[in-house]
Amino acid sequence: MITNSDIRYADLFYSAVVLNTGFNYKVLRDLTDNKAIVSYRDLYDRELINRILKGEFDVSRDSISHIQRIEDSYGKVIKIVNNYARIASENNIEVVSCLDESYPYNWKVLSGMPRVFYTKGNYELINQMTLSGSAAVVGSRNPSRYAQYATEKMCKELGDKGITVISGLAAGIDRQAHLSSVNTKGGTIAVLAGGVDNIYPASNKDIYDLIAAKGLIISEMPPGQQPIRQYFPSRNRLIAGLSDCTMIMEAGEVSGTLHTASFAANQGKEVFVLPNNIYYNNALGGLKLLEDGGNVLLSPDNVIDSISRALIYKRMGMGCSAELLFAEDDGQKNGPDVEALRELAKVKPEVLTDDNWKVIITDALSLRPLCADELCTITMLPFYKISGLLTELELNGTVCQEKGKYSLTFV
Amino acid sequence: MASKPNVARLYSCFANGTESTVSMIEVSISPGIPTFSVIGLCDSSIRESQGRLKSAFKSSGFSMPKGHITIGISPAYMRKAGSSFDLPMALGILFASGQLYLPSDAKIYAEGELSLNGELKGTPGACIRLKTVRNMDFDYKIIPSCEASSAGIACFRGQSINSLSEVTYLFDGNGYAESEFPYQINTQENGLIDISALKGQEKTKRALLICAAGFHNILLMGSPGSGKTMAGKILSGIMPKLSPEELSDVYSMNELVSGDASLISDERPVRIIGPNITTGKLIGNAASLTPGELALANHGILFADELPLYKTEVLDFLRKPLEERRVQLVKRGNMYSFDSNFIFLGTGNPCKCGLLYEKGNKCRCNEAEIKRYLSKITGPFLERIDIFSEMRSISGADMASIYTDEDKGESHNYKEIVERCWRTERARYGDGYLNATFPDTDIKDSMRISEKALKFASELSEKEFFSARGFTRTLRVARTIADIKEAEDVTVEDISEAVQYRKRGV
Repeated sequence: MITNSDIRYADLFYSAVVLNTGFNYKVLRDLTDNKAIVSYRDLYDRELINRILKGEFDVSRDSISHIQRIEDSYGKVIKIVNNYARIASENNIEVVSCLDESYPYNWKVLSGMPRVFYTKGNYELINQMTLSGSAAVVGSRNPSRYAQYATEKMCKELGDKGITVISGLAAGIDRQAHLSSVNTKGGTIAVLAGGVDNIYPASNKDIYDLIAAKGLIISEMPPGQQPIRQYFPSRNRLIAGLSDCTMIMEAGEVSGTLHTASFAANQGKEVFVLPNNIYYNNALGGLKLLEDGGNVLLSPDNVIDSISRALIYKRMGMGCSAELLFAEDDGQKNGPDVEALRELAKVKPEVLTDDNWKVIITDALSLRPLCADELCTITMLPFYKISGLLTELELNGTVCQEKGKYSLTFV
Repeated sequence: MASKPNVARLYSCFANGTESTVSMIEVSISPGIPTFSVIGLCDSSIRESQGRLKSAFKSSGFSMPKGHITIGISPAYMRKAGSSFDLPMALGILFASGQLYLPSDAKIYAEGELSLNGELKGTPGACIRLKTVRNMDFDYKIIPSCEASSAGIACFRGQSINSLSEVTYLFDGNGYAESEFPYQINTQENGLIDISALKGQEKTKRALLICAAGFHNILLMGSPGSGKTMAGKILSGIMPKLSPEELSDVYSMNELVSGDASLISDERPVRIIGPNITTGKLIGNAASLTPGELALANHGILFADELPLYKTEVLDFLRKPLEERRVQLVKRGNMYSFDSNFIFLGTGNPCKCGLLYEKGNKCRCNEAEIKRYLSKITGPFLERIDIFSEMRSISGADMASIYTDEDKGESHNYKEIVERCWRTERARYGDGYLNATFPDTDIKDSMRISEKALKFASELSEKEFFSARGFTRTLRVARTIADIKEAEDVTVEDISEAVQYRKRGV
């Protein structure tokens, strides 16, 4: 529970002030420009507020009236803040501030991004996303089968390459995007319009729980805040800002998805649109974007190219020298050493798990296609054992069978 | 001279395909100008018997009586053929003419063809006929000596004789003694190859084991000289021996074709057919109701070599027998069927040069050629194949070890596994059904396939690993795999192994 001596309490206080007293960024800029306060956290300093009200600093009259409003409703605001703190502790909600090291890099370089936001789930994803890229996947709430299928395929593939999929936990495309990527390496981030604890729509409770466990849920709204209509465009702005590029899977002529697209374009990020049928009304918005110069989304490779360009610039900005590489294969980069596994297989084959064997099999196949018998000889496994592994590898798309031989699907 | 009844009555039997009917033979002799007529829809092979009888009587010390001889064979509305009525007709004439004494109220069964010098010969279908009459109530049962082994296999009790002259002793007092007929099984294992010869072809070895254990149809495709034909011989070596009932089924089929008692063996029959076979040869001859290759392969293996070279019509014809496990013949509006419950073993090259599955890229055929070559085997036919395995040339080191290795008992171990599986499967289904032959109804429960495994299988079929028929076929193969490892329930692992044996695309 965040108490009033905690530094996070000032963050909650700021959120409450912005939501309840009409305090805005213009006033904040005026106050900081005139050295009245150093950061927004100082607003919680009641002594300082009173000094501003006494006219000790040279600030505009408009700002004085805003500060006066804070002072007038101080008791009410504190009550609200305490409520936030209670909900946050009950739901394991974390507070992140723009003063923190871990504040998302993508937001840091943009203006108009929230100073304080709230998260639930695995925050590590933000760092991972900064290094290996992310894509916003947005679209209609009642998509066609085609768009849904494309979303499933592409999100899965991007996720397997380590790219994080960001979406808005809405029904339709959003839901599909989260579902297909939550279990991949890239993971998924959901940006909500209301408080992090408010599941909207309620039917997405299942994936909400899934993302809370494996992915990340974030919102600029304090805990307990209901999602209302005017928050959604602002949420779309955050989605566009957080990601390295935006994919529009399907959008009607009047659609929130188009907001996301225009935000992304204004932030200088590439927008990809899935081409669709011109006689299908629910796709016209997306097609118009194409007409206006959007990129055509033909395959996930388009997105990967775009993200890798964005990452190079980002690294230059961050001064980071880490290797820029997409994960090619699960086992080889992060899994145990293949060489060691092969040695182990010769000495003590019984200790190897199925996943270890799969690593050995995919490694053997990376040289050239092999038939089942050759794989038996290499692994020294009986065929009945190897056949099950091969079926699994075929099912998850790693390996395919052609001309009686097995080969890697992506070489 | 003994008493001289007006009409002598005997019994015999005739077979139409696998169905046999007991018939009654009545002989009447009345004074008049000598004539000889056989009535009751008999074909010329029966009517010609007059000549054989006349000469045989003379050779054996009897004589053809003078007068009107009328022989009626019932049921008179059924068409009959075959020379096995010679002996009962001869006996009838001897009884009716008083040359032999007919014990009163005696029911006599007799069959056999007479040669001109009075010797008795066997006729095709003896086993089937004797099986029909073995439990009937006859006082005298007489068969030719050369049908002894057929009688043994049919569990028939009676007396065998070598020639017509011996009958004189049978009917005067104690001359007739019923006995069983012992038969000898040829246990010599001729030309069986041990499965260890398939060195380095682990998939094929496993596929053969599953195929034998569950009676599944199998298709082996591979390079020339990779041991496909050998695999056929290996397969019969790892199958259990024929049970006595199966042995008599197999024997009686063979007998219908060849007539005389061929070598009795309890090895499963392997019928090898080639690309030039016609549908007629496969089904059998409708006119004479002799079984074709499909019926002869019953309880055994139908081995079709070079499958892609077959005419499409022949392969498509095979689809129905493979499904129903019987062949049907139509003769004069009547339907006759032969059981043809066999393992279909097909082999062939995967492409024109045959090297498609070889290590590396040795095959020089282009895609269109490969497609054209394989399109001979139609999709619907492939669906009926449960197990598919590729084969390739054996590497040099492995080739040497085939001839040097002492480890020759591998087939024996395989056979034990197969025998155990057959016992569990038969106990599960009853009626001698095996995993592949059990009727399609209610597979899930009787085969004990867990919900999880079933769901997994349907997921696979959704990803187009196989079709609807392929689905149940895969479940059957999975059941066999579970039986091999003595598991009660079919699990996800069994399904995922079974899927590897399905043929998908090129």
